[in-house]
Amino acid sequence: MDHLAQLMLIAVSAAFINNFVLHYFVGICPFIGVSRKVDMAFGMGCAVTFVMSIAALLSWTFTYFIGRPGAPLTMWLWRLVAPGSTAVLDLSILNYIIYIFVIAASVQFVEMYLRKFFPPLFKAFGIFLPLITTNCAILFACLEIMKHVAGAADPGLVWGLDKSLTLAAFGGIGFALAITIMAGIREELEACDVPKPLQGAGITLLVAGILAMAFMGFTGVDRGLETVIFGK
Amino acid sequence: MLTTTTVLAAAGVMLGLALAMCAVLGWASRAFYVAVDPRVEAAGAALPGANCGGCGFVGCNEYAEAVVAGADVSLCPVGGSSVAAALAAIMGIEIGESAPRRPVVHCAADHAMRLGRHEYRGEQTCAAANLVAGVQGCVYGCLGLGDCVRACAYDAIHVIDGLATVDYLTCIGCSACARVCPRNIITMIPFKTDRVLVVKCSNKDFGKDVSNVCKVGCIGCRSCTRLMGEVFKFDQNLPSIDYNVYDAELDVSKVIEKCPMASLVWVGTPTPRHRELTENEELPERVEADFRTTVDQAQWRG
Repeated sequence: MDHLAQLMLIAVSAAFINNFVLHYFVGICPFIGVSRKVDMAFGMGCAVTFVMSIAALLSWTFTYFIGRPGAPLTMWLWRLVAPGSTAVLDLSILNYIIYIFVIAASVQFVEMYLRKFFPPLFKAFGIFLPLITTNCAILFACLEIMKHVAGAADPGLVWGLDKSLTLAAFGGIGFALAITIMAGIREELEACDVPKPLQGAGITLLVAGILAMAFMGFTGVDRGLETVIFGK
Repeated sequence: MLTTTTVLAAAGVMLGLALAMCAVLGWASRAFYVAVDPRVEAAGAALPGANCGGCGFVGCNEYAEAVVAGADVSLCPVGGSSVAAALAAIMGIEIGESAPRRPVVHCAADHAMRLGRHEYRGEQTCAAANLVAGVQGCVYGCLGLGDCVRACAYDAIHVIDGLATVDYLTCIGCSACARVCPRNIITMIPFKTDRVLVVKCSNKDFGKDVSNVCKVGCIGCRSCTRLMGEVFKFDQNLPSIDYNVYDAELDVSKVIEKCPMASLVWVGTPTPRHRELTENEELPERVEADFRTTVDQAQWRG
């Protein structure tokens, strides 16, 4: 029960309170670029959620087993090479580059798979997939997970796969929510008399800023929830 | 000591992962191979890649697929004839010289010909007047308030006696006028020669209703479809010309003669051959400009 509550807290936090776009300002390029039509924006949001989940799965696996101080797979290999050594190997320097590398390769793989077996799905968001492979929002989710896996203060606090996936999936849903709201506003903006210097990206950034301020209303909700759930 | 080990281990991990990824992706590219018609790829490469949608398809790739599936190769307005030729080469078909498209106003009625006109004092645009009933009897014909004139960046269309008239010497065929016309009576038609035959009416009502509102409107007598059914298609009381079939060499004089409302007219600039035909006709020595209009209008509007 305690664990489930923690997962819920992570989910709510990633989707609303610490929304990737509107709180951390990552993934702004697709947020501005593909938010002209609601259906396109929604497709983009779905694609980001999907890629983010895959990225989280892979990056957690890599970080947990190889890329943290004293990771099991690294240590096992190290014992094979130098039996009896007491040194603790730390490959966390690799995390950053491996994320980009693994995500790009896996998205390529997924793209081929979709193209072969789900042509309609490929048609629907196939063009988005290569665009978002090394998007900063995806990398941000990976780094956030890395912070809790490789950088955890004590072994009891290391995030499991479930928490990492929850963070990524709900972070993606938060992105989808933000970009869809944005697209809805921009569709309405089409009918507005926007001053000439602000037309296009200018008004979009202003709207994004106001939207971010609106999402600031969620600040502190996580702490409140924590108090309610855990009674601290 | 430990640093060197770490670096070596990192290099080893990277190498191992790279090899693993290569193997997986290499296997996937074979296992999930989708046979794409090489012509689709070639057609996609030949297109400009602007994804403007001007051809009527969603993007250049979609149009490339459609071309291979048998769509017309000359639809790309950005690439023009060079792209059409490239696409035709890929598809192994011959294209005739791709005809430039020019706007045609499908209405022949100037102010004198229109019946049931009433004074309209609203905003002087066709888009506004089109929303108001009773500006003029014909609900299909040209309103003559000049939305197309304002849309034209090339000064190639003018309202003459209340009827939008295209100047085919200046027109470049950008279709801005056709897009802006609220009654959709301007269409882009392929001009295979300098002059083409067009149906100069858009009224889809029955004959009696048409003659109640216009002196030159098509009454739907079908004489053109009876005479040349392969060129003239008849739909909703109005003939239309199938420009895929229409050819300058066709002898249409009989059809024009038979048309009781003279709704079938030639538009465009006269070709040398047509000039020859009218060479011997008498023309006034000199045509004087009509200076009356501007002053009159100013006084009128007061």
